[in-house]
Amino acid sequence: MAASMSSSCYLSSLRLIPFNRTFFSSVNPPSKNLILRPIPSFLRTIVTFLKIPTVIVSPLSASSSPSSSVDLQPIEELPPKLQEIVKLFQSVQEPKAKYEQLLFYGKNLKPLDSRFKTRENKVEGCVSQVWVRAFFDEERNVVYEADSDSVLTKGLAALLVNGLSGRPVTEILRVTPDFAVLLGLQQSLTPSRNNGFLNMLKLMQKKALSLEVKAEEGTSESTTDEASVVEVDLESKPPSVVEVEESESVSNVVALGSRGMRIREKLEKELNPVELEVEDVSYQHAGHAAVRGSAGADGETHFNLRVVSDAFQGKSLVKRHRMVYDLLQEELQSGLHALSIVAKTPAEV
Amino acid sequence: MEGVAMKLPSFKSLAPTAISVASTFSIRRSLSFARRSSSLSAATITADSEPVSLGHRARKDFRILHQEVNGSKLVYLDSAATSQKPAAVLEALQNYYEFYNSNVHRGIHYLSAKATDEFELARKKVARFINASDSREIVFTRNATEAINLVAYSWGLSNLKPGDEVILTVAEHHSCIVPWQIVSQKTGAVLKFVTLNEDEVPDIDMLREMISEKTKLVAVHHVSNVLASSLPIEEIVVWAHEVGAKVLVDACQSVPHMVVDVQKLNADFLVASSHKMCGPTGIGFLYGKSDLLLAMPPFLGGGEMISDVFLDHSTYAEPPSRFEAGTPAIGEAIALGAACDYLSDIGMPKIHEYEVELAKYLYETLASVPDVRIYGPRPSESVQRAALCSFNVEGLHPTDLATFLDQQHGVAIRSGHHCAQPLHRYLGVNASARASLYFYNTKEDVDSFIVALADTVSFFNSFK
Repeated sequence: MAASMSSSCYLSSLRLIPFNRTFFSSVNPPSKNLILRPIPSFLRTIVTFLKIPTVIVSPLSASSSPSSSVDLQPIEELPPKLQEIVKLFQSVQEPKAKYEQLLFYGKNLKPLDSRFKTRENKVEGCVSQVWVRAFFDEERNVVYEADSDSVLTKGLAALLVNGLSGRPVTEILRVTPDFAVLLGLQQSLTPSRNNGFLNMLKLMQKKALSLEVKAEEGTSESTTDEASVVEVDLESKPPSVVEVEESESVSNVVALGSRGMRIREKLEKELNPVELEVEDVSYQHAGHAAVRGSAGADGETHFNLRVVSDAFQGKSLVKRHRMVYDLLQEELQSGLHALSIVAKTPAEV
Repeated sequence: MEGVAMKLPSFKSLAPTAISVASTFSIRRSLSFARRSSSLSAATITADSEPVSLGHRARKDFRILHQEVNGSKLVYLDSAATSQKPAAVLEALQNYYEFYNSNVHRGIHYLSAKATDEFELARKKVARFINASDSREIVFTRNATEAINLVAYSWGLSNLKPGDEVILTVAEHHSCIVPWQIVSQKTGAVLKFVTLNEDEVPDIDMLREMISEKTKLVAVHHVSNVLASSLPIEEIVVWAHEVGAKVLVDACQSVPHMVVDVQKLNADFLVASSHKMCGPTGIGFLYGKSDLLLAMPPFLGGGEMISDVFLDHSTYAEPPSRFEAGTPAIGEAIALGAACDYLSDIGMPKIHEYEVELAKYLYETLASVPDVRIYGPRPSESVQRAALCSFNVEGLHPTDLATFLDQQHGVAIRSGHHCAQPLHRYLGVNASARASLYFYNTKEDVDSFIVALADTVSFFNSFK
């Protein structure tokens, strides 16, 4: 693959991120050359070190001014009811009144039956107790129910339930925590242990995804699944059966969020790999300004991939990486920053 | 929920309310306060000639307390979690790095000698602070948790046999439960827990009965970080020694607040953290009787704790070096020494006396708020509480409370299980809120807290 290294090509096609975030998530090619080729207009240049976003994002301003929404996920991408909620909160200026609004939502939240207050449904990392339940309705939209012993947390849960319930899985998975900023509730969006809001959203998305995956795999209807799990009840076995299924079909790495899941799915579907490892290493890059500010970055911005597949047979290293990048175009355009790829054929392992 | 942080306007209108509430509550109390504080050294007379309390005077040394958070004056009521540091301590730390930073113990050159001298001087200061007979009985650790782990792994693993018993209470901090669980699993020793009596303090009679020939160690707190109660350590040590058992005292909540004399207590081990006593984080200490430390094998291995090192074996240094592997937190130790100096200059008896009053005031005003349930014993003639209150408000989650207090009133309290999950389970609650004071807090801080609490409760109640 002769790289055409003419300077004009180089300059016109390369857009680098202007800060010192270089080389970590680099791929392991033996050569560190920049590899370029003439770009079709619909593709960006792919430097094998870094993924380049189309927009240079500036760090998210700390204020809750709506004008900063240019850096956040656009409100139009949110499910309609969530959009309404966001607009409502934006119209309420007084912070104390926002509180009241939040508590109002919480008060009107449909109570969660105590049999659904299981470990599986509990949101990790909340100082208060929060449970979330998800199931499909007849049209395969996700319906949520939630509860909490803290009224503020219940309010937040109610926001999410009202905003996301009754929507299809894909729409739910697209939501990022950015909208919390728009609400004017100054949330810390770092995925720290105590950020129950982020974890609530994550759990709801994870549940939506697993409902989808289970339904696609043709295992018995998720609704009856859950019901039967609960009916058998207090024995610890049935819940763990569901959990095993979930973990087998969904991921074998514990903390994969929605993007990680999508990556895995895509690669599995298209490359039919013998081995596939998807590792979210975004935390290693959590300090970057770009990561903080980028749309769609629910903290899921950097991944390590290890793919062993016959599909790589006869292809050069660069071509293999190109294959993977091509498959993950959508992710790359929505906030995925960088991939570190190990691509081998079964013979090479 | 700790993740929630809402921006709220400053409620300056609270200030007048605070004053009027304070005066209704505390006319009598402020007078008795005045009498007491006038006996304190060189009180500055204010315009209305009311003598200034220890809290007011001490506050000047703590710049961090003079700020606004979320639009309100900061009221810091979380000293049981960590204390604030006076300027003198910060200077000592800065000074170290600016003028004589150097690795200790092995160096020959001037800076190294000076650093070593100051480091060892700090050790002496700590020893003097708790009246240890010899500074070699002070082992510097990262914090009290590490100190307890040191005893567990070093003393515990080599002294506990299957069937031996270790006595704890259900009110222990996790750092004085988990290491013993780990070690008992490895050695086959058995853990026994003293529960609470109807006054909500550990049942001393039960403790006494539990001590038997099989007991090898009693590991208990001196002052509880949730219940605010204290245990009669001297008596416990007598009972334990009768059967040949050792006693480890978790003094994290006592050393910062009162006179602790290890010779008088006659404890075998005692641990404390610097960051709770106006010192920096990253340093704490273990006090251990000389003969015990001498017999203990090393905990962590590395430099400093060795004598001679060969390829296949090494010989170890004498205590305390034996238990101080690697380069220590030199600046931090020196700053801890400065903290000991600072506290001693005020006088631990004075600090304690002030806090006893403050503790009573806090308890009584808090108890007067409706639907509040405070954990631990009621203060009385015979029972002195520490200056902290863990509590719950009926129908209100402590996290909601703490969030609102912080956001609307700038009052910093803690909510959660305070590293005492077994205790909370025993009390039948998931979590509690806790307000804890130190000698730089004032009556006014307590008043602000109570007003803010009342406002918070009524806000959430309006949604019921």
